[in-house]
Amino acid sequence: MLQISKELIGDHLTVSIAGRLDINTVPELESQLDSSFDGVSKLTFDFSDLEYISSAGLRIILSARKKMKSDNAVVIKGASKEVRDIFEVTGFSSILDVGLL
Amino acid sequence: MIEIVSLRKEYDNITPLTDVNAVINDGDIISVIGPSGMGKSTFLRCINMLEKPTSGKIIVNGQDITAPGCNLQKIRQKMGMVFQSFNLFSHMTVIENIMAPQTDLLRRTRQEAYDEAVRLLKLVGLSEKAFSYPDEMSGGQKQRVAIARCLAMDPDTILFDEPTSALDPTMVGEVQAVISELAGTGKTMIIVTHEMGFARAIANRVFYMDEGGIYEEGTPEEIFESPRKEKTRQFIRGLKVLELTVREQRFDFLGMQTEIESYCRKNLIPYRMSRHLHLAFEELVQQILVPGMDRPDIFCSIEYSEKDEKVLFSVSYGGDEIDMSGEDSSLALSVLKSAVTDLGHEVSAEGARKNHVSMTILP
Repeated sequence: MLQISKELIGDHLTVSIAGRLDINTVPELESQLDSSFDGVSKLTFDFSDLEYISSAGLRIILSARKKMKSDNAVVIKGASKEVRDIFEVTGFSSILDVGLL
Repeated sequence: MIEIVSLRKEYDNITPLTDVNAVINDGDIISVIGPSGMGKSTFLRCINMLEKPTSGKIIVNGQDITAPGCNLQKIRQKMGMVFQSFNLFSHMTVIENIMAPQTDLLRRTRQEAYDEAVRLLKLVGLSEKAFSYPDEMSGGQKQRVAIARCLAMDPDTILFDEPTSALDPTMVGEVQAVISELAGTGKTMIIVTHEMGFARAIANRVFYMDEGGIYEEGTPEEIFESPRKEKTRQFIRGLKVLELTVREQRFDFLGMQTEIESYCRKNLIPYRMSRHLHLAFEELVQQILVPGMDRPDIFCSIEYSEKDEKVLFSVSYGGDEIDMSGEDSSLALSVLKSAVTDLGHEVSAEGARKNHVSMTILP
């Protein structure tokens, strides 16, 4: 259902998420992220293979953003049109850098 | 007149008819419709006692034909049946097929039987096939011969058991035309059919069968335009329905999600629409409603109309009304709104689940 892979280069952490990010799978991502913030000043979510995101998934991104020191430290990349639409209607795209690639 | 009183038919492992009640007046033309396996054919076969009812009565012109000692032969002479498969004698010519029951059962002379057969073949438009053998004819022609043979007994009532369902689509029309022609002759006709246009056009009454009996009956306009009951409506509109009930805070979300997924796949619901349906379910039920309830009592109905390629999602729940636009729900509500349109909320005066939320899933 959900596959998470992390890559840390310097202080830049990239978290790639494949599958569905919903109420079932959010706890898994949450536990993976909890242990990952030390020394990280830039966080990128790679959503190239993300099929689905619900508000439960959005909340966890929001809480990750709060943990980062600077407001523009979180970047979303590779999101599909469906996923980008959800960022748009919820106003997330105005507080996060939601890029195409 | 045929009266059917508390008719029940049980088989070893299934009971297709639990309680059928109907009054069929002389000259009625009744279409019997409904999902497969709901006892339509069994019902028809009980009316002329081809199947022996487990209990109940069938009263034909005042005579209970289920009573022991009833002369069924005589009843059946006045009640013809046309089957899905035509059941013609293949070693006889067409005209012999139509003459045989007349000479054998009605004791008509061969000349009388011949003259009647010629008249009936003309009626069904097959005069030129009188001396052909059944195997030389198309399915539609064979069924027309079968109808002529049934008419040769001069029945008051004709039972049609899916008369066109074994036919090539190109031949359905010719058989329906012959049946429609008969509808003007004053004979009582009961027709089990899956052809909805035909069922509607020919009948003065429609029986919709479901749940072991005649679930709803009415005029063709009533049944096809404004059915009163839920299952009739679903059947008429070609709706595929998935129902889910949530009764616990920690309900089996994953299991329900899987059910929705396989429902979407089974009905070939487009990918984007199925994502939207998942979102609607998760946001509304899991995120907005359940957290505000100590003892959830939520009933969800998902209806896919093939005809309109539309998915309707409606949710009813018990207890107090949940404020969907509360602060805790605002994120979930905006995601929900990205997936649906026509989001409506109303509270009914009666019933255990008084709150109703409905929406159309976006394509």
